[in-house]
Amino acid sequence: MSFAPDGLAAGADGVQEPLLELRGVRAAYERIEVLHGVDFAIPAGTVFAMLGPNGAGKTTMLRVAAGLHRPTRGDVYMAGRQVTGAKADELARRGVCTIPEGRGVFPNLTVRENLRMATFAGVTLPEVEEATFARFPRLKERRHQQAGTLSGGEQQMLSMARALATRPALLLLDELSMGLAPLIVEQIYEVVAQVAKEGVSILVVEQFAATVLGVADYAAIMVQGRVVKAGSPAEMESELSAAYLGG
Amino acid sequence: MIESTERVEQFKAEIAGMRLRDPAGGRDAQLLRAGVVGMLAGLIVTVVAYFGSHSATGAAQQDYIVVALIGVSLSVVGAAVFLRYSLAQFLRFWLARLIYEQQAQTDRIVGTAAPKSDGLGVANN
Repeated sequence: MSFAPDGLAAGADGVQEPLLELRGVRAAYERIEVLHGVDFAIPAGTVFAMLGPNGAGKTTMLRVAAGLHRPTRGDVYMAGRQVTGAKADELARRGVCTIPEGRGVFPNLTVRENLRMATFAGVTLPEVEEATFARFPRLKERRHQQAGTLSGGEQQMLSMARALATRPALLLLDELSMGLAPLIVEQIYEVVAQVAKEGVSILVVEQFAATVLGVADYAAIMVQGRVVKAGSPAEMESELSAAYLGG
Repeated sequence: MIESTERVEQFKAEIAGMRLRDPAGGRDAQLLRAGVVGMLAGLIVTVVAYFGSHSATGAAQQDYIVVALIGVSLSVVGAAVFLRYSLAQFLRFWLARLIYEQQAQTDRIVGTAAPKSDGLGVANN
């Protein structure tokens, strides 16, 4: 199934170009194909939620978009340019930022040292800290604490803060809500919505849809390596149980 | 929907200016093979030149010495190229694995030692 939000049809005149687009992407681990032709497009400054049950291929799709996994067929486009096969670090330097499942903080470094890691993108540590502590005041209290000793919610905040400090244009988020209390998930997604308003395009991969649909502009459901439904968050909400249960 | 398009425009310009390698080219793999070939060829040339020099005298012997030195140089360069395109990749994986294992270890220790929290790291007493 192919999906592009209204007004993003390829080649149409005067339409907004998607910031990220996957066309017929197939991907495999060794001989086992996990993506069987995935198509979708994300307009600039929007939040796109890719939902689906465990094992649907969402994370693999995210890895393909980030340049971490090369597709066996199909193409990845960014800002209208084909970037299939581009290395992840090359894309990262240009503003593609991934927050992996499991947060990806350096556990034996302090919060401050973790934030220092974001200074590779040309921002100074004081700038990073100022932006981070304004967005996540709790991290200021814990700035000298080792990241591995933070709670799950705080680690996710740190991970987000470090990503945002690099001034990403495209943010790829993998299972933000994993292992977090509902209240913390809501707080994290409030930040996601705020970041999208600042012009960052966001692709969120989620298994648990309730909160993400509240902030998403577009949503799609992926099952067994295929996008089976796509549309507005309201439409997807009503389709979810059927898609998850194979109805 | 978008309040600031400046970053988006910058991103578009940077993506447009990206120099992409041909994914089908497999340059890294070719250089890896070239490194192995260079290393072995250099070794063979050196050994052949060494034995050849035994039966040569004067200028011919000096030529064999030069050929042997070229062989040694070829081996060194081949080894360097091989290391760059094989071990470097391996070491990156090794480093990633080390970080992952450290993280898993810390998670285990925190899970065992830390008191129950309310999800924000505040202990419930």
